[in-house]
Amino acid sequence: MTSVPLVSVFSADDSSKVTAKHIPLPAVFQTPIRPDIVSFVHTNIAKNRRQAHAVNPQAGMQHSAESWGTGRAVARIPRVSGSGTHRSGQAAFGNQCRKGRMSLPIKVWRRWHRRVNIKQKRHAAATAVAATGIVPLVLARGHRISQVPQIPLVVEDKIESYEKTTDALNFLKRFGAFEDVQKVVSTKVVRAGISKQRGKKYRVRKGPLVVYFNENAKLLKAFRNVPGVEVVNVTRLNLLQLAPGGQLGRFVIWTQSAFAHLDKLFGTYRYTSIIKDGYQLLRPLITNPDLARIINSNQVQEKVQPAKTTKVLHEVQKKNPLKNTKAMDRLNPYAKKQRAAAVAAIKANTKGTKKIKKNKALKKASRAAYNKVAASLNDATKAAVQEEQDIKVKYFSVQKGAAQTE
Amino acid sequence: MSQQVLWEVVKGNNAFLVKRNGLTLSTDPFNNTGVQTYSSTGFISKNAVGVVSTSGKVNQINNINLVTKKSTKFQQADRKAKNTQSVYASTLAVKHGVHTASRVIRKRFGTSRVGLQRAALRKLVKLNRANAVRRRNELAAAKAQKK
Repeated sequence: MTSVPLVSVFSADDSSKVTAKHIPLPAVFQTPIRPDIVSFVHTNIAKNRRQAHAVNPQAGMQHSAESWGTGRAVARIPRVSGSGTHRSGQAAFGNQCRKGRMSLPIKVWRRWHRRVNIKQKRHAAATAVAATGIVPLVLARGHRISQVPQIPLVVEDKIESYEKTTDALNFLKRFGAFEDVQKVVSTKVVRAGISKQRGKKYRVRKGPLVVYFNENAKLLKAFRNVPGVEVVNVTRLNLLQLAPGGQLGRFVIWTQSAFAHLDKLFGTYRYTSIIKDGYQLLRPLITNPDLARIINSNQVQEKVQPAKTTKVLHEVQKKNPLKNTKAMDRLNPYAKKQRAAAVAAIKANTKGTKKIKKNKALKKASRAAYNKVAASLNDATKAAVQEEQDIKVKYFSVQKGAAQTE
Repeated sequence: MSQQVLWEVVKGNNAFLVKRNGLTLSTDPFNNTGVQTYSSTGFISKNAVGVVSTSGKVNQINNINLVTKKSTKFQQADRKAKNTQSVYASTLAVKHGVHTASRVIRKRFGTSRVGLQRAALRKLVKLNRANAVRRRNELAAAKAQKK
């Protein structure tokens, strides 16, 4: 494994000052990220805060209703007995009936809580802690951490003695955590639904989680009025706070002693946990999950055969070569030349014949010439007809003006 | 953290995910295409540059910022802390012209992620053009007011 990442502890008063340099990251932060475990454990553990409720067992059943049976032209549902009121004869008891009891009325002895195997719960908590140390996951959860100097953010124990909320606020501002608080404030919304009448008027986002160690710490009171901020002791880390909604990557601010306690709490890969008796952190299936790096590494590339060229036997869809020139060219490489030759031949043929540009003047002149010719022809035909007439009159004694038969 | 692993965690649900009209989009500032895909999702990668438009100060000519995945000033000063991850948003204001910004982008992506580089550059150019229009209108308005 490569060198262990190092973390610096910041001074509470000045975010640019570091009180302890290069503390190694506790092994919990190296745990594989298992959103499946977290999701499973979260859905079950989230049920454990539920309070029993039930419907009144007598609801809808406080009638002496009886079915009228058949033969009365009504449905066979039990009907309210008696008379003198609208209610009499109306349907009762069924879940489909108005004022009837619900189907499968909720009982108090519904199984409200779920138990989850301890190991699973511990794995989930460990993964959730690991996720708080990964910047993209915290970003993905929606925290505004762009001004935070380092993640995981570890601060000296001095903040545990904060008593005033102003101190807490200034501390958050110094470390760029205030942006997250502002997000919480600006997105506070009145809840939709009846719950607002049942004591849950607002929907408030989650801001930073401050984790401390010493039991006498006063910072709980300093931070508790800051919207969105939650404070918790390391020994009582809660998955519902580390991964709210089952979503990994809460923004966590650790105190130095809390951070140091994590190794004892969760153990390392060298020794099991002292506090969680016998608990061993999950081991990853792959120690180096960076697939791109593995594939591109020298060791792999040396052994790898050169990339095969995919051999395409035929096209997926048959193209008609008579219509598709590219398909034709594939079958008959000479077709391209043939086409070109044909085009050239057409061009050659039409080379001599130049298009006559008939302008108006020319048209007029030609028309005049034609008319002249036609006129002269007319004259000629007239003359010829007259001549024929004369001959007929002269030699065949046809009377002038007589109708020409034959 | 490996980009592949992070993608598996983050692809189903994350704060930047927007699903609209059958499209899966992303408001990730490091994403220059706007569509959520493995390669374009910059916030899970080690090296990314986001081209972001900001409602900046009046003096800023271009309301464009480059958001880079750089180590913070603190981390840069502290050599040994290289192993820790960089928190995002070292923002560089694109003040005078697009050329230095494009140089930053090209240097970041180098020859390996050409598609991403092009996407970033494309966005930079578009934002720049839009800003030019805005600036021109502002100047015109200012002139008109003076008159």
